[in-house]
Amino acid sequence: MIDLDLGAPLDRHRATVLPDWIDWNGHMNVGFYVVAFDKATDTLCEQFGCSWDYTREKIGMTFVLEAHVTYDQEVKEGDPLRITSQILDHDAKRLHYIHAMYHATEGYLAATNELMLMNIDYATRRSAPWPDFALERIDKLAAAHKRLPVPKQAGRLIGIKKK
Amino acid sequence: MLDSLPYELPELVTRAPLDSHRSTVLSEWVDWNGHMNVAFYVLAFDQASGAFMRNMGLGRRYVDGKLGMTFVLETHVTYDREMRQGAPMRFTTQLLERDAKKVHLYHEMFHAERGYLAATNEVIVMNIDYASRRSAPWPAPVAERLEMLWRAHKTLPRPAKAGRVMGLSSKS
Repeated sequence: MIDLDLGAPLDRHRATVLPDWIDWNGHMNVGFYVVAFDKATDTLCEQFGCSWDYTREKIGMTFVLEAHVTYDQEVKEGDPLRITSQILDHDAKRLHYIHAMYHATEGYLAATNELMLMNIDYATRRSAPWPDFALERIDKLAAAHKRLPVPKQAGRLIGIKKK
Repeated sequence: MLDSLPYELPELVTRAPLDSHRSTVLSEWVDWNGHMNVAFYVLAFDQASGAFMRNMGLGRRYVDGKLGMTFVLETHVTYDREMRQGAPMRFTTQLLERDAKKVHLYHEMFHAERGYLAATNEVIVMNIDYASRRSAPWPAPVAERLEMLWRAHKTLPRPAKAGRVMGLSSKS
């Protein structure tokens, strides 16, 4: 397993907006923001050993139960992205966290993605407690992230305000 | 505000909820877990939002004619059940709220043959002026159609999965 990175928030994921991710409005399509965020989830899960190797070795999988995205500013083809990840909460089977996507050179916030992830047993495809090796690392990451303020995009209720 | 649109609008469907959009899970939407990846649920739902907008008169011609665009501001997805490659999808769409520039939509995705609920999506979509890429009121004929649809949808019950706030205490 890779060395644990206790920097808070986790700030390891980088990506570039691909041509295929652009829609007829000339910007990254809403679905591909989530493609980019889902790859940042892989980077986060790598920290506690539940990324590609975990599934390839038929140990387990992680499934997303729920997701909330705020689209804050457009990004265009070729734009460099920087995605940070903050753990908000966790229990024996689940992880609640939020990613923030920034334009890597201009610095502005492009989007946020709050997620609920669940550990899944490979054979049964049903929920299962985190393996000990994962939980031990999740506990350490969560402790390191606990001192961060909760981002204002977390816990949002979607709606149109009535005037 | 645009007073008119320079093309013929499709006949308005006011079924409550709307139940027209169909799609299929493509092979490139499937991930290493052997099911439709979370992002492609959002893409599939975005196509359902596109179908809603076409019904309002805001299809490709709206963008190609450099009149305007529609941008998603925020989205919330519940992933209720897995979908495999080739699975046929049926979408229903309910208009939850609207104002001068925005709509609040609620989609449900079902496995079209087996009938189970696969996912839900709440989304806020805003009208955008083409030139300035900033928010703008709906074109007048669209605002009129939204009101007609609203009359048909406002009496639908509020979906149980709408208005969720994420947290470990909420039931999954």
